Amino acid sequence: MSLPPDERPPGLVLDARLHLLDRQILDVDGVPVCTVDDLEVHGVDGSDRPDGAQPAVVTSLLSGAVLATRVFGGRPPSSRWHRIRWAHVADVGTTVKLGVRGSELDVTWTERWVRDHIITRIPGGSHDPG
Amino acid sequence: MILGDLLDSPVVDPGGARLGFVVDVRFALDGPLDGLLAAPRLHGLLVSPRTGTSFLGYERNGVNAPALLARWFAWRHRGTFLVHWTDVESVTGDAVALRAGFRRFAADLPGTPAQRP
Amino acid sequence: MKKVLGLALGILTAIGGFLDIGDLVTNAVVGSRFGLSLAWVVVVGVVGICLFAQMSGRVAAVSGRATFEIIRERLGPRAAGANLSASFLINLLTLTAEVGGIALALQLASSVEPRLWIPVAGLAVWLVIWRTKFSIMENVTGLVGLTLVVFAVAVFLLGPDWGTLADQAFHPSVPANEGHAVYWYYAIALFGAAMTPYEVFFFSSGAVEEKWKVKDLTQSRANVLVGFPLGGILSVAIAACAAIVFLPKGIEVSSLSQIVLPVALAGGKLALAVVIVGIVAATFGAALETSLSSGYTLAQFMGWSWGKFRRPARAARFHLTMIICLLVAVGVLMTSVDPIKITEFSVVFSAIALPLTYLPILVVANDPEYMGTYVNGRVTNAFALVYLVIIVVASVAAIPLMIVTGAGS
Repeated sequence: MSLPPDERPPGLVLDARLHLLDRQILDVDGVPVCTVDDLEVHGVDGSDRPDGAQPAVVTSLLSGAVLATRVFGGRPPSSRWHRIRWAHVADVGTTVKLGVRGSELDVTWTERWVRDHIITRIPGGSHDPG
Repeated sequence: MILGDLLDSPVVDPGGARLGFVVDVRFALDGPLDGLLAAPRLHGLLVSPRTGTSFLGYERNGVNAPALLARWFAWRHRGTFLVHWTDVESVTGDAVALRAGFRRFAADLPGTPAQRP
Repeated sequence: MKKVLGLALGILTAIGGFLDIGDLVTNAVVGSRFGLSLAWVVVVGVVGICLFAQMSGRVAAVSGRATFEIIRERLGPRAAGANLSASFLINLLTLTAEVGGIALALQLASSVEPRLWIPVAGLAVWLVIWRTKFSIMENVTGLVGLTLVVFAVAVFLLGPDWGTLADQAFHPSVPANEGHAVYWYYAIALFGAAMTPYEVFFFSSGAVEEKWKVKDLTQSRANVLVGFPLGGILSVAIAACAAIVFLPKGIEVSSLSQIVLPVALAGGKLALAVVIVGIVAATFGAALETSLSSGYTLAQFMGWSWGKFRRPARAARFHLTMIICLLVAVGVLMTSVDPIKITEFSVVFSAIALPLTYLPILVVANDPEYMGTYVNGRVTNAFALVYLVIIVVASVAAIPLMIVTGAGS
């Protein structure tokens, strides 16, 4: 018995595991920022435990699962997640492109830390190769 | 709610019988405008008899190459169906319960593979 | 000349894959014990790596995504994490061996103790990664590494009995004094060496570094079809030199100075000088390839900014990873461990990483969402599926054979 086809919703259709999770997030200049580790979904009325009674939308992309939890499973506590609000997303393709610069986001703080404390202290770190 | 909590949850019908597991969640970008794009509205849940990512979505996206792999992966997740979000009664830590009178739909993604992201 | 330089990425990748210090020694050992009766494995391996490197290069050119990013997206974090652990360890072990190999080759040239060369070699590798442009790096190491063609020249100069060589190659059989298990262990080791995952990680990331697009697809194909077969031919030439000189006398090869002996016999001091230059360049190139691969795999798995085309300040964690890997490599080598022994262990991790690397490449190469109209054709898919089976068989058999034969002794 074959199932009836769903009516096609207007707008792009995305399946979370197929198209969003583990995808690369690039900033407005095309520089990699982080990966999509999870999604935060809220009801349109603002509730954070929605059920089918009201529509629910993705409000933020979540990133920041540390290496250990990504490899072995489990989830870090919510205070350790970095949020990227959906409002910053400009395009979704094989990567997620943002409309803001990576340096303005919290999630890139380790990159900035390593850059400021280690890389720029080594001669040549701030110069283009050549 | 965090989406990861929903994935791999068991799904039960109104009588409590196990229907399968949530292997994926379908969104449609037709919600209210949020920034540059429409917010992704939670359209439905994809329920499969087994857990685990369907490994590349062969049973949904109409890609049939390489033939042997496509057939094997589609076979593993045969019986996957889509349930509308409006048919979900409650989401608890133990399971997702569906409303009475819920409908099942085919799990295929709309459009041809090349039109999707 | 520009056309030849355009092939440098493929040549450098092949050098790191077929002619690094581990392969130099393995090929010579195989030649001295089995003659050319394992040459068919090199052919099978070359076809396999050409197939998959071509796919990963095409994916990188069309979609702009490098291979490990695809592995993370397609396998999910758990399986990709398993691949990362295995691949990262392979890279680290091989990098350690290569830095040690540079020191050994410099010892051949200068008779200075290798332990004094090790920090120099590590620093030199890091300086090139830190400051030189990707294209200059690949052009110089690729071209100088090509001097290893002197091994092929030496085969002719040694005036071998072509009949015996051809017989060993085309009618392969296990020699009387060797066991079947050892023969198949070396077959898997040679196959694994030909298809080591870091070759595709490096090749596809290099394709992104060079900013290859759809119009560069022919160049990508040329890189693959010239580089890897060349690497395979030189591998067989090294085995042939050892087969000609050592096999009849039953001498077992174990050190770098023995490997270059046939070349010295064939062409005297000049040939010896050329081959030492070639070995230094090849091990240096392999060290560059494996340290960049460690950076590429970790950065692509974690979603960090990466690439030599960016200044280090814009790819900070990528460069920090490589600095740490080089420091670990130098540290391990200063404990006087034999770098060549280290490479034997990387066979084990290859067994895990091989199927987890090649399956996602095959799947994405067929996915129109990444590839548009440039998806695989039927013939490519048929060959790729056959190779996937071979890869799984090899990966399952590798560890038991390694235990049974005591790593080929």
